[in-house]
Amino acid sequence: METDKRVILICSGKGGVGKTTLTANLGISLARQGLTTAVLDADFGLRNLDLLLGLENRIVYTAQEVLEEECRLDQALVKHKQESNLSLLPAGNPRMLDWLKPDDMKRIVEMLKEQFNYVLIDCPAGVEDGFKNAMAASQEAIVVTNPEVSAVRDADRVIGLLNTNAIKPVQLVLNRVRPKMMANQEMLSIDDVTDILALPLLGLVLEDEQVIVSTNRGEPLTLNSVNSPAAKCYLNIAKRLQGEDIPLIDPIKESSGFGAKFRRLMQTKIF
Amino acid sequence: MNSNNQKIIINIEDSKYINWEIDLKNKLKMLKSKNLEIDSKNIDFSCTDISKIIAIAYQYNCKIIGFRSTSPKTIISSQSLGYKSEFIIESSSNNTSEINKKNLTFSKTQFHQGTVRSGEYLESLGDLLILGDVNPGAKVSAVGNIIIWGRLLGIAHAGCKGDFKATISALQLRPVQLRIAKKVARGPKEKPQLGIAELARIDSDEIIISPLETT
Repeated sequence: METDKRVILICSGKGGVGKTTLTANLGISLARQGLTTAVLDADFGLRNLDLLLGLENRIVYTAQEVLEEECRLDQALVKHKQESNLSLLPAGNPRMLDWLKPDDMKRIVEMLKEQFNYVLIDCPAGVEDGFKNAMAASQEAIVVTNPEVSAVRDADRVIGLLNTNAIKPVQLVLNRVRPKMMANQEMLSIDDVTDILALPLLGLVLEDEQVIVSTNRGEPLTLNSVNSPAAKCYLNIAKRLQGEDIPLIDPIKESSGFGAKFRRLMQTKIF
Repeated sequence: MNSNNQKIIINIEDSKYINWEIDLKNKLKMLKSKNLEIDSKNIDFSCTDISKIIAIAYQYNCKIIGFRSTSPKTIISSQSLGYKSEFIIESSSNNTSEINKKNLTFSKTQFHQGTVRSGEYLESLGDLLILGDVNPGAKVSAVGNIIIWGRLLGIAHAGCKGDFKATISALQLRPVQLRIAKKVARGPKEKPQLGIAELARIDSDEIIISPLETT
């Protein structure tokens, strides 16, 4: 049974590429498929996983109290309101960074592993202590990047560090893909990115304005709007993570396909 | 920095070759330091063995920062796993030293398998052979020549001690910057033709790139 427990680190190096959004949506998607999932916010300095999940007002205890043994783990865990399979372990206050050690992180993850099938760790940006703590506790990793030079460069650095710490497998998610720009070669192509990073591609996520709306509302996209292109991508990633064979979408087809043309027509002609 | 960053060298003895796992465990038990360098003498370790060592060290809360050995096999294995590795040429009194002297240029060639990623820095006291890509943001340097069986997209510095005759060759030469001895050149703007390996060398005070010809 121990073998199907998975601890996955979600990291990127550069900030703002969509780690937290991916963590939240992946958590919801996995929980929907009946897997007990814990999301752990390891970004102690700038926590916002609770915001994305809309659970900010339910937090009583945090990882800090669990470590200091002021409360039990299940007291600190916040269950999602709609998806009971998903729980959040909130990050403590930013001062935790001063004393938190990789071993503390391992202890928390060990506790979570006893109760959950999946533990997703939302890693802070950068490659300093916060990242190293999070990395120490994980077995495998998903690297998130955008199709732009700086994000790819940072992801490359992170992959190097993951490799030296024997974290396997490391998979890639390419976020905020704009099919039209990719088709016009104004953006790095999928091949450009995978050529440099040399990692198996777990999935693409299309650029979607709905993501911003859902972030502000505190309802991850995968929860309600199944028709949003990004939500579909997140669901596919969750399925592939469990070994299902789902073909990747082709962004170039996506931009010239009938559906997209129809949507563009609607947008231009009616308004 | 605190005491955790101290480096301790652990020897794995040849005489206990068969029981090296137990030997290593015993030695780790005594230690409080968390950063280790493993000296494996002349034992040949495969990649699997090296992974085993790392796993054992992990059990004892220790972190391995590098390997040193007189066995090329161990060095190649540990290097391919991304560890800092130091090849030690045996200077024992018997006649093996004579053989080593003859092969000195050969044994000084450093070999790296796998992608060199952004932020990583590889250097060699002799020639440097890389089986894999050198990504943008990575830097490789060698006292001698650099040969890359892959793409060079980062920075390469051949002849870093001043050897003007050093060369840099790669299957695809698309570097950010090229340096040979004291000369520095920016990489070419246009993409090179695919399928032609290229070589950079100094010719009349300029770094020039030409197709690699096997002679």
